[in-house]
Amino acid sequence: MQKKFVLNYVIIGVLLVWAAWQLLPTLRYETMSEERKEELRMQGDLEPIQNRIIRRGLDLQGGMHLVLEVNVSKLTQNIAQNKSQSYYQFMNQVEEIFTAQTDRDYFDILEEMANAQNFRLARHFPGRGDENSQIIASLRKEAADAVLRAEEIIRNRVDQFGVSEPTIQRQGDRRIIVELAGVTDPERATNLIQSTAQLEFILLKDPEVVQDAISRIDAVMKKVEPETLTDSTTVEDRVSQNKEVSVEELFGLTENQTDTKGDSTALVDEKIFKDRPFSALLRNLGNDIGVPAENYYAVNRVLQNPEVQRVLPADIRILWSNAPETFTTQDGTQKKFYRLYFVNRDPGLTGAVVTDAQATLGGMNGSNMGQPIVNVSMNSEGAKTWSRMTGANVGKRIAIVLDDKVQIAPVIRDRISGGRTVIEGLANIEEAKDIEICLKAGALPAPVDIIEKRTIGPSLGADSIRKGTMSALIGLLLVVLFMVIYYRGSGIVAFVTLVLNIIFVLSILALLRATLTLPGIAGLVLTVGMAVDANVLIFERIREELRKGKTVKASVDNGYSRAIITILDANLTTLIAALVLWQFGTGPIRGFAVVLFWGIVFNFISGYFISKTILTTVTHGRTLKKLSI
Amino acid sequence: MFQIFVNTHYNIVGKRVYAYWISGLLILAGLLSFIFQGLNYGIDFRGGTLIQMKFEEPITAGEIRSLLKNPELGTPQIQRSGPNEYMIRVLSIGTGDEIQEIIQKDLQEKKFEVRRAEIVGPKIGEELRRKAIGAIFAALFLILVYISIRFEMKFAIGAVLALFHDVLITLGLFSLFQWEISMPVLAAFLTIVGYSLNDTIVVYDRIRENRLTHKNKAFPDVINLSINESLSRTVITSLTTFLVVLILVLFGGEVLFGFSIAMLIGIIVGTYSSSFVASPLLIIWDKKVRQKEMKKK
Repeated sequence: MQKKFVLNYVIIGVLLVWAAWQLLPTLRYETMSEERKEELRMQGDLEPIQNRIIRRGLDLQGGMHLVLEVNVSKLTQNIAQNKSQSYYQFMNQVEEIFTAQTDRDYFDILEEMANAQNFRLARHFPGRGDENSQIIASLRKEAADAVLRAEEIIRNRVDQFGVSEPTIQRQGDRRIIVELAGVTDPERATNLIQSTAQLEFILLKDPEVVQDAISRIDAVMKKVEPETLTDSTTVEDRVSQNKEVSVEELFGLTENQTDTKGDSTALVDEKIFKDRPFSALLRNLGNDIGVPAENYYAVNRVLQNPEVQRVLPADIRILWSNAPETFTTQDGTQKKFYRLYFVNRDPGLTGAVVTDAQATLGGMNGSNMGQPIVNVSMNSEGAKTWSRMTGANVGKRIAIVLDDKVQIAPVIRDRISGGRTVIEGLANIEEAKDIEICLKAGALPAPVDIIEKRTIGPSLGADSIRKGTMSALIGLLLVVLFMVIYYRGSGIVAFVTLVLNIIFVLSILALLRATLTLPGIAGLVLTVGMAVDANVLIFERIREELRKGKTVKASVDNGYSRAIITILDANLTTLIAALVLWQFGTGPIRGFAVVLFWGIVFNFISGYFISKTILTTVTHGRTLKKLSI
Repeated sequence: MFQIFVNTHYNIVGKRVYAYWISGLLILAGLLSFIFQGLNYGIDFRGGTLIQMKFEEPITAGEIRSLLKNPELGTPQIQRSGPNEYMIRVLSIGTGDEIQEIIQKDLQEKKFEVRRAEIVGPKIGEELRRKAIGAIFAALFLILVYISIRFEMKFAIGAVLALFHDVLITLGLFSLFQWEISMPVLAAFLTIVGYSLNDTIVVYDRIRENRLTHKNKAFPDVINLSINESLSRTVITSLTTFLVVLILVLFGGEVLFGFSIAMLIGIIVGTYSSSFVASPLLIIWDKKVRQKEMKKK
C-alpha cells in the first residue's frame, strides 16, 4: 500500500466508526425484547437510547397527523363589544365573503368592508385607536398572539394526554400541526385537542321572550312551508297518519345542507303542525323545551334558516343540551330528548377566570352522588362577578355552557360567593377528566378548525415497513447481481460502496433525529439507483480507456478523473430537485427529500472517494496486466 | 469483458425527425386526454375524505357501493387495495369526522378495521396545488441557471425543454389512465425532473468534452458520437434504476403505487429523451447547421 493512501484509509475508517456509533442504538433498540425495554424504562436508561434511534414516521408506526387552523373570524367576534343589530349584520356579511373566498385574509376583508361601508370598528373594538386601520393592526396582533397561545395550550393538553413524543409546531401564521404517534383512540385525542374548553355562565331568557321567539319562527316557517311544498296535502296526511315525514318535505329546506346526517325524518305533533310548524317539532319537558332526538336535525335546519335568523332578536342565542336524555312518555315508551335553551347572547362570565378544575365523583348527600363532576374554582375577579351575577338574579336560571353545549341550567337559589361551582351532566369519568385537562390548560383563545387529518392504523404501518424493506432488499440484490455479472471484481467494489452509501444515509438520519417515512424508504431505494450510476459512469470510462490500449493504472486514474466531472454535474442537478422538495414538502414528502439529498451527498463520498481508493490501491500496488472490470 | 453497446455508430441525430414525431404524438395524446378528461386529482390536491378499510369477510366493491347510500357521500370512489381491503374516497369532508362516521354507520353490518383515514380540507388542497406548481417551476428555473453556468445557454434550454417533454408525457399518461395525482406522485415528478436531467447531463458532458477533442468535426457529428459513446452507460444505468423501481411497483404496496408508476414511466421517458430529444435539440440552436441546411434546400 502506498503512503498517499494512508490518509484516505484513515478518513474511511473514521467514517465507518462514526456510522457504527450512530447506528448502534437503533440496532440495539430494534432487536430488544419488550420486557427488556420495560426494564430499561424503569431504570431510566431507555430514553437516552430512544433519543438516538432512527424514528419512524407516522406512516410506518401508525398515528395521527392533524393540521389545525385558528378561526380568526370567531376570535374577532369574541373580542367585539357593544354588539348591536347593525354589528351582527355587518359581521355576517364579512363572514359570508370570508367563507366564499378561501384564499383571502380575514382582516383584509374586514378592513375593506368596513372602509367601503363606513362602518366604525372603534365602536365595537374600543381602546384600540380610532382609525379602522389601527384597529385592524391591533386585531392582527391579537390573532398572532392567539395562535401562539393556542399552540402552548394544545401542547399542555397533549402532554397531559400521555402520548410519547408528540410533535406540535406552528406552520405559517394561523396553523398548528400536531403529530401523535401510536395514538389508540384518535377520536378522543381529536376532541381533547380541538375542544375550545370555552366555559361560559349565561343567564337564560325569560319565558315570555322565549315564547315570542318561537312564535316568530312559527310565523316564518308557516310562510315558507306551503310555497316550497309541491304536495302539501300528502304530507299533512302522512303527518296525521304515521307522524314521520322527511325534513325536506316538511320545510323544503334542501338548500341548507350544513347539517345533514342519517336522520332525515322528523316527528311532528299533527294537531298544531298546520298553524305552528316549528312548535310541532318541540315538546314540553318540565320547564324546558324538549326536542325528540329524531327532530334534532330538523330543528337545527330551521334555526339555521336565514329567514329565521332574520326575525330572531339579535341578543338571543339558542343552545342545545350536551347529550340526549331518556324519558318515558305517557304511552309508556322510552324516548330520547334534547333540551333547547334560549339564552343571552353575551355570557356573564367565561372560563378565563378559572384557576383550577378537578374531576371527581359527586360526594354523598348531594344530588349528584356518584356522578362524574368537575369542581371549578375561580380567581378573585371571577368570584366577584359570579357573586354579583348570582346575587342579582336569584330565582332565575343560569346555563353552564361548555363549548356551546349547555351542561346544566340550574335555578339560582342564592348568591354564590367564594368563586366555586360545579359542572354536572357528564357521561363518564373520562369526559370529566378531559374537561379537567382542558380547563386547567386553559381555554383556547379561539376555536380551531381541523383542516387536515390523517390517521394511519398500526397494522397498515407494519405492512408498509414490511413491503418497503422487502422492496429495498430485493432491489439492492438485483442491482448487485447485475453489477457483479457485468463488472466482475469491480462489481464487488460497487456493491461495497452501495451498502456503505445506505449505511451512511441511515447514520445521518439517526444523527439528525430525522424520521424515516415510507417515501423515505422509497428514497433509499432510489439512492441505490443513483449510486449505481456513479459506478457505471466510472467503470464505463475505465473500460473505454482500456480499449484505447492504455495501461490498467492509467485507465483507472483517467477513468476517475474524467468521470467525476460528469458525476458532479449530474448529481448536483438532482440535488437541486431534492432541495426544492425539501422546502416545499410536508411530512412524508420531506422524508423522501431528506433521504434523497443525503443519498446524493454520500454518493460523492462512497461512490467516488471510497471506490476510487479501493480500486487505485488494487491497481497501483503491483503492475496489473488485467483488471477485473 | 461482458459488455453491450460498444463502439456503436447509430445515426441518432440523423433520425431525430422520427423522434420528434414520436414525442409530438405522445404529447398530443396526453394533451387531448388532459383537455377532455383532465387530471384525477387525489384528495391531497382537491380536498376530501379517504378511508382505507379492511373487512373481515370477503366483500365486493359493488356491495360496498350499495351499502353507502347516504346522499351526503355523493358518488364515492371505491378501489380495492388488497385482500378484502378497499379505499373509499369521498369529495366532501363535512365537519370534522362526519364523513368517516357516516361511512362507518352505513357499513356497520360488516366487520372491518379502519387502517387509514385522511381528511383534507379544500382550502389545503387548493394551497398544495398552488405550491406544487410553484415547486416544479422553481426546480426547473434553478436547474436552468445551473446548466447555463456549467455549460452554455443552449444546453440549458435543451435540457429544460427535454424536462418539459418528460413531465408532459408522464402527466399525459396519468391523465389517459386516470391515475390519481397525490402528494407522493408529485414527489415522483420532481424526482423525474432530477433523474432525467442526470441522463441528459451525462450526454451533454460528453458533447462538451468531444467538442474540444474533435475540433474538426461538425457539431451534429460530435453530438452523434457523444450519444453513441454514452449509450452503454445510459442503458445500464437506466436498466438498473428501472429494475429497482419495478420492484417498488410490484412489492411497494398500494401507498407507494402512484409514486412508483410515475417513476417507472419517468425513467423510460427520461432515458429516451436524453438521447433522442435533448441532444438533437441542440442542433436547432447551431447556426452553422441551420445555414447549411438552408443551402441544401
